[in-house]
Amino acid sequence: MHEWSGFSFIVTNLARFVRPNEITFSGVNSALPMLACLLAKQAYDFDFTYINVAGGVDPRPSKVPISSSDPVLAEGSRSIFSNEDFYDLCTRGQMDLCFLGAAQVDGLGRTNVSVIGDWHAPKVRLPGGGGGAVMLPTARRAVTWRTEHSKRTLVETLDFVTASGGMHGVVTPIAVFTKRDGRLVLSSWHPQASLDEVRARTGFSFEADGAEPSSWPTEAEADALTAIDADGSFERDAAIKLR
Amino acid sequence: MSSGHSKIVPLADLAGRITDGSSMALGGSFLHRGPFALVRELIRQGRKDLEVIKQSPGYDIDILCRAGALGRARAGIVAMEGNFGLAPWYRKAVEKGEIRLEEHACATLTAGLRASAFGVPFMPCGGIHGSDLPAINGWKQVEDPYGTGESVYAIPKITPDFAVILANEVSEEGDVRVYGTSHWDRIMSRSAKRVLIVAEKIAPSASFREQPELTLVPHFLVEAISVVANAGWPGSCWPHYEVDYPAVEAYMEEGEAVLKAHLAAAPEAREAAHA
Repeated sequence: MHEWSGFSFIVTNLARFVRPNEITFSGVNSALPMLACLLAKQAYDFDFTYINVAGGVDPRPSKVPISSSDPVLAEGSRSIFSNEDFYDLCTRGQMDLCFLGAAQVDGLGRTNVSVIGDWHAPKVRLPGGGGGAVMLPTARRAVTWRTEHSKRTLVETLDFVTASGGMHGVVTPIAVFTKRDGRLVLSSWHPQASLDEVRARTGFSFEADGAEPSSWPTEAEADALTAIDADGSFERDAAIKLR
Repeated sequence: MSSGHSKIVPLADLAGRITDGSSMALGGSFLHRGPFALVRELIRQGRKDLEVIKQSPGYDIDILCRAGALGRARAGIVAMEGNFGLAPWYRKAVEKGEIRLEEHACATLTAGLRASAFGVPFMPCGGIHGSDLPAINGWKQVEDPYGTGESVYAIPKITPDFAVILANEVSEEGDVRVYGTSHWDRIMSRSAKRVLIVAEKIAPSASFREQPELTLVPHFLVEAISVVANAGWPGSCWPHYEVDYPAVEAYMEEGEAVLKAHLAAAPEAREAAHA
């Protein structure tokens, strides 16, 4: 049996949102979703189209880059499907799954990537709008991740609503949420955490009926992640702690 | 047969065209294929109150803030990326109110550039509904005049004074070739009033005629070019070179001497020193 680390928990559970025969996208500032897409390609016995912000369409990169927008992610690509193309694909409703970053997420799955504090007098200026405001409401499903599971990141009230439309999924080091009837509900938790711990560390209230400890990584998932992060540098750089 | 005179000028001349207060759409994305040699040259020339217009700036906007050369920004997502996180000098400049930010989603910025490229005052953009961005930017919703009942946001035209793009190869006359993704360079080149190019190298004019489909920008849209090898340093320029991570790491250190040393270590500065 393969155990979870915070890192493998996030990457693998992001990958589990990938579905057969769909179009899945990973963008800038998104190392963990990039790894998840590469993992899904290796571990799962189904076809899907992986497109990325480097213009790659089912690429065969010669290495896994530190930057998730590195041009190596278009190596061996069938086409260059560039920025305007994938945004237009999304707004016309043909993006099946899209991974989007967030600093704060609320119980409706809306996100803030703009600012901590008041927009006009920011305590912390965050990266900003990016893909979210346009892609979150128009993608068929969008999924985000947080390497920190806390009331700072999973909040009752966002400091600023950068993107609405609602995440279909949220993955943290200890929990997987999915959307049901317009709200995030807990679907599983890290077996070394508990439902109580997830509740105590989450700023928004949520339903948890049907939730259970996340199933362990399969042989194929564990092998794929080991192959992708052979020297463990992504896991080291991500420095994800359970608590 | 040549289609005209050479548009190649020294980098100092190229930067000299961009005067204080100009707005610039900068090509590339984060650390990848940005016209960074030109950005650094603007700093060396002491330019002030510049505006960056770019969906995903990072190192470029950060170093301009660090040098006090930036006044305004229209941007989608700003970060150094990789393991470097936020762009620290940009972040401080916004938090202290030293620069004025118009925060976009990447696609709304593209919509504004498309309006300019298409010759219309605004461009509808999908999504955005439920976001606080329209309120802070004054973006208006318009109902479909053809009666579907659908409402879309109309993003006002964005016309940069300049588009500055890093090309893999150019002809002397100014045809521009880019390998890998073109990021948003194409729409930038069609929306700006003037187009300036930094190029890694010159390729024979005949090669452009042999494969015209590789030409991203035709010469008649281009005003001037500088040829600077490794101009995208410390970022990447596929397939010529990758990100120089130690150089980015060194840049991230605090201190005035660090910026000075970084500017001196840049390929275009070393080239000039040896000239």
